[in-house]
Amino acid sequence: MRQFAVLQLSGCAGCEVSLLNAEAWVDRYKLVYMPLVISAYDVPEVDVLLVSGGVRTDEDLYNLRRAARRARQLVAVGTCAISGGVANLGDRDEVRELFLAEAERRHLPRLLPRIRPVDAVVTVDRYLPGCPPTPELFMAVLFTPTDFKVGKTVCRECGRKKRRDMRPTHLIGFEQGEVLPDVCLINQGYLCVGSSTRGGCRALCTRPGHPCVGCRGPSDTFIDKLSSEWFTSIQRVFAAMTDIPAEEIETALRSPQLALFLFQFSDYAGTGRPPRPKEKVL
Amino acid sequence: MPTLIFPLSRIEGHAQVVIEVQGGEVISAHFQAIEFRGFEYFVQGAPAEQMPVIVPRICGVCSTAHHVAAVKTLEDVYGVTPPPLALKIRELLLLGQIIQNQATSLFIFTMPDRLGVASLFQATSSTSPSTGSGCASEQANAEIAMRALQVRKAGTDLITTAGGQFIHPIKAVVGGVTSGIGPEEATAMRTELSEALPIACELFDCYWEMSLAMGERIGTWGDDAPACYITAIADRRPNYYGDVIHVMCPDGVARASFSAHDFRVHLTYQETDYSYAGQTSYEGEVMRANSLARVNMARRMGTPRADEYLTRFHEAFGQPAHAIMLFDLARGIELVYALERAMEILAEPLDHEDTAVPHTPRDGEGYGLVEAPRGPLIHHYRIENGLIVQAEFIIPTVHNALAIERALRVAAERYITAERVDMELEHAVGRVVRAFDPCIACATH
Repeated sequence: MRQFAVLQLSGCAGCEVSLLNAEAWVDRYKLVYMPLVISAYDVPEVDVLLVSGGVRTDEDLYNLRRAARRARQLVAVGTCAISGGVANLGDRDEVRELFLAEAERRHLPRLLPRIRPVDAVVTVDRYLPGCPPTPELFMAVLFTPTDFKVGKTVCRECGRKKRRDMRPTHLIGFEQGEVLPDVCLINQGYLCVGSSTRGGCRALCTRPGHPCVGCRGPSDTFIDKLSSEWFTSIQRVFAAMTDIPAEEIETALRSPQLALFLFQFSDYAGTGRPPRPKEKVL
Repeated sequence: MPTLIFPLSRIEGHAQVVIEVQGGEVISAHFQAIEFRGFEYFVQGAPAEQMPVIVPRICGVCSTAHHVAAVKTLEDVYGVTPPPLALKIRELLLLGQIIQNQATSLFIFTMPDRLGVASLFQATSSTSPSTGSGCASEQANAEIAMRALQVRKAGTDLITTAGGQFIHPIKAVVGGVTSGIGPEEATAMRTELSEALPIACELFDCYWEMSLAMGERIGTWGDDAPACYITAIADRRPNYYGDVIHVMCPDGVARASFSAHDFRVHLTYQETDYSYAGQTSYEGEVMRANSLARVNMARRMGTPRADEYLTRFHEAFGQPAHAIMLFDLARGIELVYALERAMEILAEPLDHEDTAVPHTPRDGEGYGLVEAPRGPLIHHYRIENGLIVQAEFIIPTVHNALAIERALRVAAERYITAERVDMELEHAVGRVVRAFDPCIACATH
């Protein structure tokens, strides 16, 4: 049986929990290393290594380099592994100083000056974005089933109807209570970025009524482009469907809730890495 | 001075135990969180309304508790009371979390200790002598793993039904929830839970037996010295939504009840230089949170099968019971309760009235309390110009930090003598820590 391992760097374990929800791999793939569920202290030679979490401590760096050498294929799983994720918010200049002041403790792995994505340290063969990726996506990355079809964007998978007769004039924020069923969230004044976010999650947030915050990152149309093109595209969608002033959208798009997923654009934090090739991203 | 370092597995996050020994005497036993997250810093400057979506990312295991605590904190600041239907759906969300967490802790994290294997997913490499339970074949373990995952999945699906997203929920919003649960969806969910319940009971019975056998084999149920207990649920029909924090004395007498606003009056927080997580104590005393605290204070669970288990537990171990391996059995009682209670709620109409009330955001300060699987969780925010200027997360695992270290010292003293270190210590360290089911991502938030 093929073998795989899961290396968890600094993250929330949500990706691991999602993998456990995809229980159908249990008798088809041998899990040999995953400290969350297995007492084993080192990564053996494996066919596939899933890496979750960002590179935050010197221990993360060591463990990642060591494990990567033993894997035939390395998959960066989840927003944190791909971009550093939510921890990037701690790298805003005004916060970072406070943050690192906290960090000096005796006998403990030291924090690196910045959170780094996995591909800043080792070669990544495939990317599985999502916060976290759904069990279905985990199964797809482990088994590459031929009948696995996803919508190009979250919008395509959502099923809410766009309406010409509802043109909001202001954003109403994320937390405004009851949501009309079946009507597009943009028509209701929500800042939903599902129109340019990668599909595959089956629109699991927007269907029950929460706007898409973009956790799957840019769709194939935008993935090898600059983040500015993504901003322009969202503006175009809102200009077509609403009468909300562009400045209002611009400010809201820069807020932390969305920003934490925008780090998946290689240029967003000014890190100067090349964009991820779309054929490597599930 | 020899120092023993034990890396930990089958817990959430990165932690290790460090025991310092001199001449057979245990000098110190430290529980070290070796990662640091930093959410109290990340969220500074974030628009307050985004907190319910940002803070679940503190932890993918306890995300639901953080999601609901964030919404409750904002409602405290804004002065909003959500409608009854919203409260029911939030209760379901937290029950889903209890099912998922307790099933994971019992059957995936600690069952291998009973079976003497490294993992249910990898049953070939034995870590300790077999318990002789007869269940320990690889085939049998794989079956336990599959059934455990089915029970877990019922909890995850309940979180999805009540909370939208399955790991980082989104349906709880200030003023209520985004939508109700339609009759078809409720019925399907109820069916799934009713199928999971007998499996959960069967696994739990097996687990109970194996725990008794293991207690006999190793001659101990772990640190059984009395301690204070802390929880945010009432003594009957637990509602993990959390109202008031209760503290019980080591002798079983209720000592204090206080609201989240007043936690500083009663709880003392301190940092250490050897861990990224802090420690809290109650008036200088060692405190325990999590399942054993709740079961020690419970008079009734309020559902039939859970009450049978509760009675059996109190009769067998007393009330309050103090031995730490009883945390695990207490989790099983809660797992059964959460399955039964969720089925009760799902039998009621859940889309017949408003799910949210309107509100006006305002600046100020607020607190939100939830009974998370590991104990009382408090969020505290200060909001200026609609932005977070200060956020504090008071984490249940941190309440347990001193109790974990006390229990580690008991284990260390048992297995370390002037002549030798008994290698059973390595397993004992794992069992001690897993009894408390610590969550390191939360503890270092």
